[in-house]
Amino acid sequence: MGIKLYKEPELNTPIMLCGWPGIGNIGISAIDSLRGALKAQEFGEIEPLDFFEPRKVVIERGLLKDLQFPSSKFYFQRIKNQDLIFFIGQEQPTEGRTRYAEGKKAYKIANLVLDVAEKFGCRRVYTSGAAVTQIHHTVKPRVWAVPNKQSLIKEIKEYENTIVMSEIDRRSSQGTITGLNGLLLGVARKRGLEAVCLMGEIPYYLQGAPWPYPRGSKSVLEVLTKILDVEVDLSQLDELARTVEENIEEFLESLYNAEAIPPQVRDEIEKLRYARPAEPGPITEEEQKKMMEHIDELFKEGGPQDEKHL
Amino acid sequence: MKSIFRFSERPNFENPSLIVGWEQDSGKLSPKVIEYLNKKFKSKSFCEIEPMDFFSLAGVVIENDVAQFPEGKFYYSQRNDLVIFKGNEPRFERYRFLNAIADLAQSYCKIKELYTISATSSPIAHTSPRRISVVFNQHQIPESLRGYGLQDMNWQGPPAISSYLLWVAKNRGIPGVSLWPEIPFYLAAGEDFQAIKLTLSFLDKKFNLGLDLAELDENIRDQNIKIDQLREEDSEINKYIGMLESELPLSEAEQVELTMKVTELLEKKG
Repeated sequence: MGIKLYKEPELNTPIMLCGWPGIGNIGISAIDSLRGALKAQEFGEIEPLDFFEPRKVVIERGLLKDLQFPSSKFYFQRIKNQDLIFFIGQEQPTEGRTRYAEGKKAYKIANLVLDVAEKFGCRRVYTSGAAVTQIHHTVKPRVWAVPNKQSLIKEIKEYENTIVMSEIDRRSSQGTITGLNGLLLGVARKRGLEAVCLMGEIPYYLQGAPWPYPRGSKSVLEVLTKILDVEVDLSQLDELARTVEENIEEFLESLYNAEAIPPQVRDEIEKLRYARPAEPGPITEEEQKKMMEHIDELFKEGGPQDEKHL
Repeated sequence: MKSIFRFSERPNFENPSLIVGWEQDSGKLSPKVIEYLNKKFKSKSFCEIEPMDFFSLAGVVIENDVAQFPEGKFYYSQRNDLVIFKGNEPRFERYRFLNAIADLAQSYCKIKELYTISATSSPIAHTSPRRISVVFNQHQIPESLRGYGLQDMNWQGPPAISSYLLWVAKNRGIPGVSLWPEIPFYLAAGEDFQAIKLTLSFLDKKFNLGLDLAELDENIRDQNIKIDQLREEDSEINKYIGMLESELPLSEAEQVELTMKVTELLEKKG
């Protein structure tokens, strides 16, 4: 079990872009949108049995036809003078304990991805995820960038709409990137491979929401396309962002009307609507905690019910 | 690498069939069927799968006042054409656990086929006849299942452990069949003796087991009498069961009420 390559394209010091699901699916949505727009071709996969549970069984007239597992696939494309490898993982291997990958399986899959990166002589790896912060859902999200080498900081600071950890209020230069979007950076560092994680901002009251957050994905994609010097059509993401924003507004309004969350919490969310991103957050840690207690509970109540398994 | 199998005996088999049952199942169908067979044939465990890699061993679960411990055991009896496996569903490394079952069954026991038993809860009344749906992993298998009144299943969705095992068996070339007896949803938390009897009756015919299932008739009768009494005392419950008998759907609230009241009734001692 491990990597299965269907073909071995000849690539010249490619850049690898990796995406796994996470909060608001910001990272995977950005990377996968780029993969789709550039029509990258599939050339390999990581075999799923060591990492994942099957998602679906197909039984027709009594015959078990198929058992489907989450895919972890490699794609490649050549653009201008730049070769690219994409890795898209439909799920993070969780070992049944946590939502995001950790432990042996996570380490193993991160190494398999980087084995492919090294095999094809990748010069850099980008991952992407979400940065949970105090912004309103109508505000354009910034991109937090974390490299695995100090020497990359100067370059990163030149990216538009991008900040490094030390530029974020009250956080100094520290933080955590949960799951494989973060772990891959560490494993790449161990191998001496340059890697950067680009995280699109998401309002913290939406971090438990079951919807994607395309505004965050779009911000990441804007940075990536600049780095790669490619142009892609972002209109589909824009459309999805509008729909999601309408849904968020409707959802919040219904909560306010039903008095499911107190007026005080409403005021706190509304304060964020008018805050500039660079300002210190207009609400206190205590207020944030109170808001999360209400909103996370509401998302949990609307969560998926037990499904039938056969 | 340390083996995950622990043998206590090394019995001989003659091209046996493997019957797999799980500890947790709706209407306690799977464990009851396996317990019945093990009791009938005075089966003995000859090998178990070490639980360490597959279960959380951070303590024990208490069920019905008794501390439980996860297990996965193979049984043999004087019937050397049958191997029985009974186990808890693994929490971790499910593929490795299922592959281990198939590996031992194929390499050591030299099984010719595998049967899994799992219940599926259904919107039917307890007074309705039960049916067994069937899934098989090779095209030619249906031939050997003709004449037993089984129904071919159609399903696309999340797989249960039995379907996963059937797929593992398929990849190893082991012919496999999953039996899915239906049970009324409101008996899921208790025991459905009628479905247990139907399943045993199928196995009896299929493997010429010579079972006398009359003792289960008494359990079926007792359970039906209790539910009949509840129907007499509670007009709502009588209405809900009547609707199911007429194949009319119940709302979620009605299903919950019916399930709660029947479960409470059947849990009463005496």
